[in-house]
Amino acid sequence: MIEISSDVIRGYNDTMILFILGDAPSYGYEISKKIKQLSKEKYLIKETTLYSAFTRMEKNGFIESFVSDDSEGNGKKRTYYRITESGKQYYREKCEEWKLTKDVVENFIRDNGIA
Amino acid sequence: MNTIKNYLESMFANMPNTPDVLKAKNELWQMMEDKYTELIGEGKTENEAVGTVISEFGNLEDLADVLNLRNAFEQKAQTIDNTPRRNISRDEAFGYIKDRTTNGLLVGIGVFLCIASVICPISLSEMGRIGNAFGITGMMAMISVAIVLFIVAGTKTRKWDFIEHTPCSLDYGTATELATEREKYQSTHAVRLTIGILLCALSWVPAAVMDELIVNLPLIGDVITPSILFAAVGVGVFLIILTNKIMNSYDRLLGTNDKATVSGNYGRENEPVYINKTVDTIMSVYWPTITCVYLAYSFITFNWFSSWIIWPIAGIIHYVLKKNLTK
Repeated sequence: MIEISSDVIRGYNDTMILFILGDAPSYGYEISKKIKQLSKEKYLIKETTLYSAFTRMEKNGFIESFVSDDSEGNGKKRTYYRITESGKQYYREKCEEWKLTKDVVENFIRDNGIA
Repeated sequence: MNTIKNYLESMFANMPNTPDVLKAKNELWQMMEDKYTELIGEGKTENEAVGTVISEFGNLEDLADVLNLRNAFEQKAQTIDNTPRRNISRDEAFGYIKDRTTNGLLVGIGVFLCIASVICPISLSEMGRIGNAFGITGMMAMISVAIVLFIVAGTKTRKWDFIEHTPCSLDYGTATELATEREKYQSTHAVRLTIGILLCALSWVPAAVMDELIVNLPLIGDVITPSILFAAVGVGVFLIILTNKIMNSYDRLLGTNDKATVSGNYGRENEPVYINKTVDTIMSVYWPTITCVYLAYSFITFNWFSSWIIWPIAGIIHYVLKKNLTK
């Protein structure tokens, strides 16, 4: 089975995370689980990748973190993330960028390969 | 679950000990723990769950940029000692504790014999010249046994000299286990130390009491009460030496990792973290100061019967300060 190249997907981890945070604030494992579900189990984000994306986006002001009790009420403190206004803006730009990328690359894809 | 924790700790062991790195470790642990719990909940075996979590963890290289680790690793040259460290295995760590305990026992008994040896000449001095000769012989015999004990004690710990002289490291699992053992020993340590100090501090009490009550019995005044005094001091010093050696060997092992790296925190999570450096300094000299005050006051006023009250009071104050001044 072909695996997704981490070089290619790297530029879009932010997009996926912001997409999920667009619905509601969430925390590390929940986000990775949703990415797995929404990608129909074709993409598994590594913990280290996820954490580095959180830290980078927080530094850039796209997301904010806050500590809160676990929603399942087991008394656990967790770090949650929520999207900011500039994060929403960045998400829109990333979506545009992807459409363009897809249009460009699409022109060079032959379904049957090169004979 | 322990396997995962050990894995994560070993990945971070040589990272610089900075708040950013500790936070990253913590967050990653949270995610791994969540994933593990869920996998177990789905009916996976422990092995499968651990395997999945570790294989999906990723690579710490991913974190280098966001954690300023590039900077941190450059600093590493300055703050972190890069000489290779000798790893202390679990068996070695516990072997060290065991041998240091034996060493403490032997040295303690040796010192006891040295102190108690004066009892011989004291108790036999009443019997004239022959008594004196036996007294001195007895004393020499006890001191000789003590010297033999010191030598044996030294050979017991010789093979562990490297722990004191070369940089070593301790893995997370062993350090945690040692910290638990140390915690368990703590109360025994307190009891032994207190009894030891009390025996030394109060060793003169029988002599004083006897002096007041029975004046005309030379046997008691000249032989029995001095003997009790030296025996009490001897037992007291024995207890202090033994328990300090044991405690000290735990502390030495737990302090072996480089403080500038994450591994420097192993086994030390339970130590109170004070709100700032000044408080930390004050608290570190708290007990020595109290001891000095106690001894100074007691010797100046000779009020030994009531001066001990400083200890319970100091204990309560220490507790209150610790509650209020820790993070």
